[in-house]
Amino acid sequence: MLGLIIKRILLAIPVLWIVASITFMLVRIVPGGPFEGDKALPPEIVANLKAKYHLDKPVHEQYLLYMERLVHGDLGLSYKYIGRTVNDILADAFPVSLQLGGAGLLLAICIGVPLGTIAAVRRGSGADFAAMFLSTAGISVPSFVIGALLIFTFGIWLKILPVALWESPRHMILPALTLAVSPAAYLARLTRASVLEILEKDWVRTARSKGLSTDKTVVKHVLRNALVPIATVLGPLTAILVTGSFVVEFMYAIPGMGRFFITAVGNRDYDLIMGTTLVFAVLLIVSNTIVDIVYVILDPRMQVT
Amino acid sequence: MSKDKVGFGYIWYRLRNIPTAYFAFWVILSICIVALLSGLHVPLSHYGYSQTTTDLLAAPSWDHPMGTDELGRDLFSRIVYGSQLSISIGVTTALIAFVIGTIYGAIAGFSGGKIDNVLMRGVDIAYALPDLLVMILIGVLIGRGTYGILISLGLVSWMGTARLVRAQFLQLQHEEFVEAARAAGQNSLLIVWKHLLPNAMGPIIVALTFTVPSAILSESTLSFIGLGLSPPACSWGTLASDGWRSLRGHPHLILFPSFFIFLTVLSFNFLGDGLRDALDPRTRLFNYGKVVQDPEEPVEKESPELVTKE
Repeated sequence: MLGLIIKRILLAIPVLWIVASITFMLVRIVPGGPFEGDKALPPEIVANLKAKYHLDKPVHEQYLLYMERLVHGDLGLSYKYIGRTVNDILADAFPVSLQLGGAGLLLAICIGVPLGTIAAVRRGSGADFAAMFLSTAGISVPSFVIGALLIFTFGIWLKILPVALWESPRHMILPALTLAVSPAAYLARLTRASVLEILEKDWVRTARSKGLSTDKTVVKHVLRNALVPIATVLGPLTAILVTGSFVVEFMYAIPGMGRFFITAVGNRDYDLIMGTTLVFAVLLIVSNTIVDIVYVILDPRMQVT
Repeated sequence: MSKDKVGFGYIWYRLRNIPTAYFAFWVILSICIVALLSGLHVPLSHYGYSQTTTDLLAAPSWDHPMGTDELGRDLFSRIVYGSQLSISIGVTTALIAFVIGTIYGAIAGFSGGKIDNVLMRGVDIAYALPDLLVMILIGVLIGRGTYGILISLGLVSWMGTARLVRAQFLQLQHEEFVEAARAAGQNSLLIVWKHLLPNAMGPIIVALTFTVPSAILSESTLSFIGLGLSPPACSWGTLASDGWRSLRGHPHLILFPSFFIFLTVLSFNFLGDGLRDALDPRTRLFNYGKVVQDPEEPVEKESPELVTKE
């Protein structure tokens, strides 16, 4: 187990280096720089600014400088949020996104897994049809539509929940719900398929024939085994949550990483774009590593290398 | 070999017995016809492409079934017009994904071994990245016009097809008819073209049916957060994005475009699900709780191979 984790960490370093290099090239090839905004600045000031951020140097020197700082854990300075380092911004934004993502994931699991299980156990029934209709609808509806509906219903019409900012737990309800819908639907479909497969196994028939009730069979014999493939989608699920967080943080004006990423792209805030992208990359690598570890715990026969 | 396995009549029969998929098929057909007609500049609504200047931000009424926006433009006409861009983005992305994915997957699946391994690790990495993150970064590089969106959508959509084609090819390689063709000295490219590809076509079509809705969703989401298409381009995504700003006072402006995005994406997903079940003869179909029996004589004659297989 320890060997697996160490191996993953060692493997993560080249991956992060590649991600950093590609993003570095991407943002710099583009026409338009961070100081070519609406207000035209005097050329002397632009020259000074560029010198301050080392943007006057040739690209390969900028690259070496950036990599040197990165190795020391310094992600650079934001151009738009004057005087703030990228580390500083991300240290504020990351916990917010983590809370939002965690709440969304929890909700998604609590909705998706039972829904999928019920659909599978009652295969072909009205409940199955309803659950599958709901979950297909869930993956078909853009998260901004869910957000708009929730904001309109609970914020504007009923006026019972706040629709923006990130201050109290009450502020978390609508964003977390918005974020949870599509992963919940995704999980429900997956759970259904997984449970259906397990239901055909011999040991389920044995459990049934020794007189165990349907509920007990499902909980004791089916779900535990059906959870293996479900646990393995944590990777793609993290990707869905990250994507969702862009929209949700944009809609609810939540100061998380997704919103900083979007504004940074709009502002050509080079270091902030790179910083957020790298954090997303680390997040994905970590979630995939957790998946591998969960694999080993849930199914000791599995040999992960 | 070309007139083959899964009879068209058989699939159509099974599809007709999946109510959601059958209904979705007609919804998609009508939306596509509307998009096509509006692309040919057929005036489908009362106001056509002209703007009205008197009714600003009117609520839905007989005159304007979906209301008007802040410039007094009839929302129904704009949605009809926007269907062109939304549908064509979805379909074009599916085509790009088909071409790139099939070629990539075919190379990996057909060569096997080391090449396959390297190519598939590449797919794994590309697959793990969040689509929107990649699309935004690519959008930074190539701009945000219609072509920029198409290129970035194409680039994030091909991996699924590639995986699928590879898996199909790996499986089919060991079938007897492929070995027979190889033993007869047929050229590799011809084997791929005449034997492997036609047999892998079913799952590929299903995958493409799922690519269309996810492309439509991605485009509308990107446009919504302001990093996709922007006016004067008019897609359902940009319309919803416009509507978002007046959610408080005029919710109809976001409601109607959102509904059409939802309806289209939902229909494609249902059709994809249905096609998948229809193409797999092992799946038992339920129509209103009753098991659907395979059709008797006529269709079986059309697809003897399919029936004997399972």
